[in-house]
Amino acid sequence: MWIPIQLNEQSAEPLYHQIEVQLRALIVSGQLPEGTLLPSIRELAQQTKCSVITIRRVYQDLENEGLLRTRQGTGTFVAQVDGQQRDNQRRSAVMTAIETAAEAGLRVHYTDDELIGMLREALLRMRPAAGEAEHGSGQGEGGRQHDG
Amino acid sequence: MEAGKAKEGDNMTDSVVEIAGLLQRRTHFELGPVELSIPKGCVTAIIGPNGSGKSSLFRLMLGLSKPDEGSLHLLGERLGERDDASLMTRIGYLPEGAIELDDRLSGEAKAAFVRQWYPGWNEAVYRELLRRFEINPALKLGRMSKGMRRKYDLSLALAHQPELLLLDEPSSGLDPIAWKTMIDVLHRYMERGDRTIVMASHIVEEVRRLADYIVFIVQGRILGIYEKDALLASWQTMYADAGGRDLAWQQMPGYRSGEMSGGTVYKVVTDQAFEAERWLDAQSVTVINRQKLELDEILVQLTEQARGVL
Repeated sequence: MWIPIQLNEQSAEPLYHQIEVQLRALIVSGQLPEGTLLPSIRELAQQTKCSVITIRRVYQDLENEGLLRTRQGTGTFVAQVDGQQRDNQRRSAVMTAIETAAEAGLRVHYTDDELIGMLREALLRMRPAAGEAEHGSGQGEGGRQHDG
Repeated sequence: MEAGKAKEGDNMTDSVVEIAGLLQRRTHFELGPVELSIPKGCVTAIIGPNGSGKSSLFRLMLGLSKPDEGSLHLLGERLGERDDASLMTRIGYLPEGAIELDDRLSGEAKAAFVRQWYPGWNEAVYRELLRRFEINPALKLGRMSKGMRRKYDLSLALAHQPELLLLDEPSSGLDPIAWKTMIDVLHRYMERGDRTIVMASHIVEEVRRLADYIVFIVQGRILGIYEKDALLASWQTMYADAGGRDLAWQQMPGYRSGEMSGGTVYKVVTDQAFEAERWLDAQSVTVINRQKLELDEILVQLTEQARGVL
C-alpha cells in the first residue's frame, strides 16, 4: 500500500519527525480509516528511502499515542481515533499552516489588518462559489459575500 | 563524530556478525584492529575507498582467510571452531567478480551443482528470480553478458534463502533497469524482517536506497557504524553570517572545516548539525543556508582525516 508522504530532504526537521507528523495527520483526518493495514516497516522504508530504524521509531511513537496497533505476525493497523483527538489534530494542522503564513507576513512588515485581509482574499479565491469573482487590491474587501 | 553513531542497546542487541579484536597482517596491508557488531534484520553497507579492506573483511567473514588475532562470530557461531560447512549453507555470497572457472558451465548445470549443497534451496524462488531478471539459464556462463552474469550470480546467492547475505559491489555491470530490479528484489528478500544483508558498495544511490546502517572503513580501520538517516542529517555545510565578527569557529560542535565565503559569510562543515546550529544561535550568528553532505562527500572528509592522522 502506498502512503502519500512527502519528505523535504533539506529541511532542518528530522526525517522521522516529518514522517510522523504526516502519518498522524492522515490517520486523525480519517484519510486512513480505522483498521487500515499499514505497509510493513521495510516497505515504508523503501518508499520513503529511509532506514527501517527511522520507520520503526515512527510506528512505535504512534503506537504509544494509541493511533496504531501492531498484531504479532499480521502487521500494523490504524486504531480507533476519538473525536476529541480528531478535532485537536484538525485544528493544529491548520494552525501550523497559518503560523507559517503569519511568519512570512511579519518578516516583510505587513500589519495585522493587512494579513487578515489577505487571508480573506485567499478564502474568497478558493471557495468554489467564488470562481467568477474578481480580486483587485486584495485589502479591505473582507466583508464581501458570495452566495453563488 | 558522535551524532548518529549507533549506540549499544539501540536495536543492536541482536547481532548477526560479531567481530572482536580482529587483526590481519599482510606485507603491504594491515586490517584492524576491527571491532564490529552488525545488527540482524537490517541492511548494513560497508563503504570505503579502494584498497581499504572491504573485500578482505568479506573473505574473513566467509572463512576464506584467517585472522592473525581476534574472533569472528556469524549467526551466533564462532568461525573456524568446527567445520564451517553447515554454517555456510545459511549464508549467501556474491563475490566482486564472476568466477572464471565456471565459464564453461551452463546456468542450469551450475544450479544443479549448487543446489545439492544447500538444504534451503528453493526451486520456485530460483525460477522466479531468473524470470524477473530475464536470464536465459541455458546459456554457458562465459557466454552471458557481464550484466546477465551478475544477475545470474545474484539469483544463485538468493535461491537458498540465506539468513545472511553478503554482497560485494552488487550492482557492478548492471544497467539502470536491472539495477532497479535488483533493489526491489533485495527489499523483498528483507521483507520478512529476520534476514540480514551486509554489502560493500561504491554507489551512493544504492547505499541510500538500501542501507539502514553504514560502516566506514579507511586504510584497514573501521571508523564506526552509523544509522543512515541520523548520519546524513548530522553532516552539513552551513553558510553563517557573523556580521564580520571574529569567531572561534573551531570550537563549534562537530567542526570539520571552514573558510570565508565572500562578504561576512563563513562556510563551515560540521558533523553535529543540531548542536552546531544551537551554538551558532547562542552567538547570534544567522545561518543563511544549509546543505546536507552526500555519502561520498562524508567519505572524502573521513578519508582525508584518517590520512592526516595515520
